[in-house]
Amino acid sequence: MQVTVNFYSYLKDLTACAQVTETLPDGATLNDLFTKLITRFPRLEAIQKSILMAVGVDYQKGNHLLKPDDEVSLFPPVQGG
Amino acid sequence: MRCRVRHEKNIEANSECGVRNVECAMKRTLEIRTGPIEETEQLAQRHISSEAGAVIYFLGIVRGTEEGKTINAIEYETFQRMAEHQFNLLFDEMERRWPIESVRLIHRVGVVKTNEPSLWVEVVAPHRGEAFAACQWLIDEMKRLVPIWKTPVPKSQTPNPKSQ
Repeated sequence: MQVTVNFYSYLKDLTACAQVTETLPDGATLNDLFTKLITRFPRLEAIQKSILMAVGVDYQKGNHLLKPDDEVSLFPPVQGG
Repeated sequence: MRCRVRHEKNIEANSECGVRNVECAMKRTLEIRTGPIEETEQLAQRHISSEAGAVIYFLGIVRGTEEGKTINAIEYETFQRMAEHQFNLLFDEMERRWPIESVRLIHRVGVVKTNEPSLWVEVVAPHRGEAFAACQWLIDEMKRLVPIWKTPVPKSQTPNPKSQ
């Protein structure tokens, strides 16, 4: 299955892109996706613990099961106000 | 660029709709926009019922320093669809916790110069206790959950007018 990954804030600088598409096996989780992303963008590994993950418009944890065409967003801690 | 989104939960104007009536929905207005926040304009648009006894409003202002360095502005970035959704989840929770009559919130995105407001929040409630508590809680939770990020614009760097 394919999922779209959007990067926000300084994650765009670390990856040098705002959006990528990844292909994953059925039953893959957000953790599986992140592991794959680290091989593509090694600079993400150092800040792994602080990265927040969302699928659609809701926060999700690493064990969240992905579905085909999911829109995943990765970003650093938020700073509104 | 002018990016403006406005949400308002529909409720009927009803003088019999007291805040203790669980059927009475909290009125909510949310804007995430690039344009400036005009305080007088917001004050003129205030609507309160005869049950309201407290109005709290808060302005968040861009400071001239960030981590000890002088700055010209802050550039705010958002994931807008998610920000709107997360704000509405917070409004839902706020409505469950306190008998709030209305909440209005504006958050600017793009470049906001120092001394200009980036955030405006108003909470109307029957008593000051719940109004203060709800307003404080909403801002704290916003800073924890709503996907908005900021990048300081150093003093030596002129803000990009396209982002304003």
